[in-house]
Amino acid sequence: MSITRRDFMRDAVAAATAAAVGVPLTSAEQALAKEAESGWRWDKGVCRFCGVGCGIQIATKEGRIVATKGDPDAPVNRGLNCVKGYFNGRIMYGEDRLTEPLMRMKDGRFDKKADFVPVSWDRAFDEMERQAKKVLDEKGPTGLAIMGSGQYTVPEGYAAVKLMKAGFRSNTIDPNARHCMASAVVGFMQVFGIDEPAGNYDDIEEADTFVLWGANMAECHPILWSRIANRRISSDAADVKIVNITTFTNMSSDLADLELVIKPSADLAIQNYIAREIIARDAVDKEFVESHCVFATGPYDIGYGMRADSSFAYDAEKDIQAKELEVKLDRFEAAGQRREPGEVVKQTNRGSAGKHWTISFEDFKKAVEPYTLEFVTELAKGDPEETVESFREKLEALADFYINRDRNLVSFWTMGFNQHQRGSWVNEQAYMNHLLVGKQARPGNGAFSLTGQPSACGTAREVGTFGHRLPSDMVVANPAHRAKSEKIWKLPSKAINPKPGSHINKIMRDLEDGTVKFAWVQVNNPFQATANANHWITAAREMDNFIVCSDVYPSVSAKVADLILPAAMIFEKWGLYGNAERRTQAWREQVPPPGDARSDVWQMLEFAKRFTIDEVWGEQKVPGLKAEGYEDGKLPDIRQAAREMGYKPDSTLYEVLFANDANRKVKWPDPVAKDHENHTAALLGDGWFPEKALFDEYTQFGRGHGHDLADFDVYYRDDVRGLRWPVVDGKETQWRFNAKYDPYVKAPDFEFYGKALKALPQGDLDKVTNPEKSGLAGKAKIFFRPYAAPVEQPDENFDLWLSTGRVLEHWHTGTMTRRVPQLHRAVPTAQAFVHPDDAAARNLKRNDVVWLESRRGKIKAVLETHGRNRMVRGMVFVPFFDEGVFVNKLTLDATCPLSKETDFKKCAVKVYKA
Amino acid sequence: MASSVGSWARRNRYLLARRCVQLGVLLAFYGTLHWGWSVFGEPLLAGNLSGSTLLGTIPLADPFALLQILMTGHVPLLEIFVGAAIVLGVYGLVGGRSFCAWVCPVNIVTDAGEGLRQRLQVKSGFRLPRHIRYVVFGLSLLLSALLGVAAFEWVSPIGILHREVIYGIGFGLAMLVGILIFDATVLRHGWCGHLCPLGAFWAQVGRVAQVRVAFVEASCTECGDCLKVCPEPQVLNLKAAARAGMVRSGECTNCARCIAACPEGSLAFALRARIRSVPPIRPGAAAPP
Amino acid sequence: MSTYTGRREFLKRMAQGAGVATTGGLLWSFLLGQQRHARANMLRPPGALNEPDFAATCIKCGQCVQACPYGTLSLSPSGAEVPIGTPSFSPRDVPCYMCVDIPCMQACPTGALEHDLERIEDARMGVATIDHESCLSWQGLRCEICYRECPVRNDAITVENRPRRTSGHALFVPVVHASHCTGCGICEYVCPTEVAAIHVLPPELVQGKIGDHYLLSNDAEVDADGGPSASPAGDHDAVPGLEYLNEGER
Repeated sequence: MSITRRDFMRDAVAAATAAAVGVPLTSAEQALAKEAESGWRWDKGVCRFCGVGCGIQIATKEGRIVATKGDPDAPVNRGLNCVKGYFNGRIMYGEDRLTEPLMRMKDGRFDKKADFVPVSWDRAFDEMERQAKKVLDEKGPTGLAIMGSGQYTVPEGYAAVKLMKAGFRSNTIDPNARHCMASAVVGFMQVFGIDEPAGNYDDIEEADTFVLWGANMAECHPILWSRIANRRISSDAADVKIVNITTFTNMSSDLADLELVIKPSADLAIQNYIAREIIARDAVDKEFVESHCVFATGPYDIGYGMRADSSFAYDAEKDIQAKELEVKLDRFEAAGQRREPGEVVKQTNRGSAGKHWTISFEDFKKAVEPYTLEFVTELAKGDPEETVESFREKLEALADFYINRDRNLVSFWTMGFNQHQRGSWVNEQAYMNHLLVGKQARPGNGAFSLTGQPSACGTAREVGTFGHRLPSDMVVANPAHRAKSEKIWKLPSKAINPKPGSHINKIMRDLEDGTVKFAWVQVNNPFQATANANHWITAAREMDNFIVCSDVYPSVSAKVADLILPAAMIFEKWGLYGNAERRTQAWREQVPPPGDARSDVWQMLEFAKRFTIDEVWGEQKVPGLKAEGYEDGKLPDIRQAAREMGYKPDSTLYEVLFANDANRKVKWPDPVAKDHENHTAALLGDGWFPEKALFDEYTQFGRGHGHDLADFDVYYRDDVRGLRWPVVDGKETQWRFNAKYDPYVKAPDFEFYGKALKALPQGDLDKVTNPEKSGLAGKAKIFFRPYAAPVEQPDENFDLWLSTGRVLEHWHTGTMTRRVPQLHRAVPTAQAFVHPDDAAARNLKRNDVVWLESRRGKIKAVLETHGRNRMVRGMVFVPFFDEGVFVNKLTLDATCPLSKETDFKKCAVKVYKA
Repeated sequence: MASSVGSWARRNRYLLARRCVQLGVLLAFYGTLHWGWSVFGEPLLAGNLSGSTLLGTIPLADPFALLQILMTGHVPLLEIFVGAAIVLGVYGLVGGRSFCAWVCPVNIVTDAGEGLRQRLQVKSGFRLPRHIRYVVFGLSLLLSALLGVAAFEWVSPIGILHREVIYGIGFGLAMLVGILIFDATVLRHGWCGHLCPLGAFWAQVGRVAQVRVAFVEASCTECGDCLKVCPEPQVLNLKAAARAGMVRSGECTNCARCIAACPEGSLAFALRARIRSVPPIRPGAAAPP
Repeated sequence: MSTYTGRREFLKRMAQGAGVATTGGLLWSFLLGQQRHARANMLRPPGALNEPDFAATCIKCGQCVQACPYGTLSLSPSGAEVPIGTPSFSPRDVPCYMCVDIPCMQACPTGALEHDLERIEDARMGVATIDHESCLSWQGLRCEICYRECPVRNDAITVENRPRRTSGHALFVPVVHASHCTGCGICEYVCPTEVAAIHVLPPELVQGKIGDHYLLSNDAEVDADGGPSASPAGDHDAVPGLEYLNEGER
């Protein structure tokens, strides 16, 4: 039989797809498919893209991925994928894949102003070592930074944290997950004392009411959306309703029974309206609230996370920047804060935005009192074309859904909540209403924060690749947490720096003001993804600093770097990801990386070989360090203590942190590999299995503390498709804090056992009245948080709102999806979505090229008035995947002052013909 | 050398002029499409010889194509009537078949065919009456009416050549090679001189043309050089021309080969109104030797 | 030279002419016929008259091609399957981006592209058809790129949710509605499968016809309460045949 290779592949894929959906094939077709598949090696894997965490199966042959399919056994997706997932097998094969280190060089020497030329790995590490040592000497450990990622595998994130926090004693490591999940984290920590959702995706099949708050799940969580859709259309399902709360009509509205188009930041007021309604209609689940909750609040005058001084601001930015210190309240804010409209409020709690205290239920009731139906309708109605009556009815219907005791209600949210100048507040408000009516931590009931990155939960958060964190919810500022980490990491006491490091936005600002002079970008593209990008690109290129970018394609970040290290992509290395429902999933190295590309773990470990503990563990200056037991501004010399622990002065960080005795016992090759390679282990060449050793070491942090993970090998078993932690006695946990499901709950029904922030002073709505802290063990907090207006709003000059986000076809900054020709062809450029009337008023029409201009920059884009996003008048939306339409040159780098997560959803622009 | 080039250019000044106009028209179309040529922000000449728009406003159209469309029973937009009227008016002034010699790109091909025929010294064999083009013309209209499509437009080598040069498309050149070989080896002046219905159409328009080749009998030596170069030698009926003072036939393409060839300068372009017709020669008067 | 030979010569030439005309005409008709029925599945620019009228009226000037800002249209070369010199487009190469001002149509001097098309959404260049078996969305994947990129989304293409029997995921199947499909072909252009699973074809190749004698009730007309219950009042006098039936057989 003569069949071309192409026919083989096509038939094999057809067979795979047909099998997945249960379409019978003819025997001839089956025979053909079998023949095509001969020599293919199938293995399980995880989708590279969003936080849903779909399982896939990967077929390889002769070092290449020949096909993928949705894993029929994966409980998340049951053999399906979205169209990005359909191309998992293609993302690695873009034409411009980086395969050798590139450095800016002139006459054989590093020159920041020169062009990139190929260099050897040795040459690259030589320069990195030279630059890092120079910076360590000049600035101390905090002058070194890593910009990490929610796309790190667990071992990668763990290696990065350990290298920085235990090795260099620098906390200046923060992931792009800061832009994505930080507000959710603050919400979890402040309300429950432990990070990550109580519920899981099984809630979808149990709920009958879904409320989306700033989450376009139809495009951004496609496979979960098809589960919700299935629930919606199932004939046996109860009366299932979907509510979409958004600032413009998006794809999720198509399936919604109730759509509330609201003004930016009005979600704060709507949540308070619901709380007020719950109380007014006497619908509080008193038993639940009294046994499991306390009421709390915090200061309102917390600023907007911008720089406090204007010395780096462009002239046009100064008016908004000045509001960081002093804000004039509008009448809506004033009413919610019990002040006078027009009152100027100094933002005195900028540095202590996270502090909070308990209040009485009576105070709470008083606080939500101003948020009446009339008041919130006036404040929140976002579509000028909608009538007041219609919006009021919708608000009432929304409150009904929360209040109706027969309804199982899940709130889902993503960036609409998290990327919010009061993102932490609005996260807390989501729990507020669920806790008030007792719809939390029960199957089908709960507030559920979705994630956008494949391992924002599993790595960035759980491993703790943030400036202030340590693994398993611990923080550097807590002496007990430092001590515990130092013990597991076998470090001398006081090795870990107690001063929290810069968040990723601040690392950019640190580059601009010269505080950070060495930055290593890993597994993300921060120079495209950080708001107000013009500043940071200039800082990277013009300041005296050294920027390393490990990347797989020439991204914006690679372009502004000084040294580019070619990295291995997902299926070219071993790894584990943790998705939004606490599910940890693993895959093996499927194919070798191309050319000289190497895994990030290898890169970090090789770099670690170049530093001895003698060099990095001496006394170090840390500007601004103030902690009990530490001299101000200094980390103590721990070299003597290290010697006492048996380390030699010339032991390298590689030997001490990574290839130590315990880890070397984890041998490579390992039966878990079956016949798969491990290029990281092979290149290190000293016989240990770094990913497994690091993972198993990391599990020590969480076991027994509510973060239990299974052993490395368990995740690789053929019958395992990921496990939801805590995994206790080999069993995963579906609903946390619920005695029926969670082994950590000791109480008969519910226990919010998280330990963080569980001792609080008491106070009233404005201040602490009794500073004596009392314990709240096992309880969740119901926060009152007032409405706060966005710091930058449209005015006569910049007269439109700008929101940014995603499209289904592309993921994040498009570095992978834009290399897939079919996806690029489908959505080649980021369009500016504008209401047809706004376009007409500016004499613009569909497909016109327009300028979008903010105080911070201007970009060109193609205008779309009839696209998938149907805007309200006054609102513009531009996706951020397209470096050619660099929308983050426009966005404002204001953040939630608690979480430091940027608000990418609200700034003011003008639009005019290009 | 310089002077020989100069004299060659002088001798071939009309040929050069015709080529300039032919290629210039083609270039104007091409440049407007591909290089965005414009005047005062308006595209210079958009379209092709079948229909076009000059400076974004003035419509131009091929009246013969319009005639065929009308024969199909369709009444197109007013715009094309205006365009056809303008074109008709212009050629009515400068000589209907001036189109053939000065604008039509196929002329370059058939001239090349003639050149090839002379170089290969092909003997005339096959002959066909010249009026066959009127049969083709009639057929164009008849088939348009019967088949409901503009019959000649669908096969016209002129359209094909123009479209394929301007819009950069395919195989049509084969047809032109066919015409070249046909003209060179089968029938002298085969396409333009015998078959082309568009030529037939313009020949009828040419009857009222204002620009004509004037003939001054007095200086004529009847050397016959003009007949040798003329692609439509039947129009050079010198007796009739002598009477009228000009070449009257609409089939004359105003190509000016005869003017260039005439050693005595007996032929020249002139406006019809300025040409004085010579009274009929008295019977019995001595004919020139 | 007698008049007889002159007449004979004349008749001979007449016969020759007639012969040339007949053979030439037949050959020519054959060529034209071939051309006219050349290809059924090419897509004409917006506003194009029905194919026979378009064929008659198009002057092949290419001004529509020139007016298109996206390079969508091309004049078919000789030897192509499309009637020579006429404008058409292949959406998998470049689709029609549905300009609001329809410049191609405005440029047409003959009206082969009818100028009374006011909204590009009313253009009917073709109709999209979906091959359910290679369509990712019909197989359960979350693709629906055609739907999201459709310029008349929610009218020309809608997405319907259907249960997927094998798991708790709904299918999001795109469905084309010919009554609103302009045939712009953006769906075919953006379809991510190796060979597009959605194709745009001329309406006459795709669309059926119910028949003038039967009208479908639309949803709005259906009376949910079951409609009028009383039996229709009849005008007995007007019953045809009544007279005949009542006529006795006597």
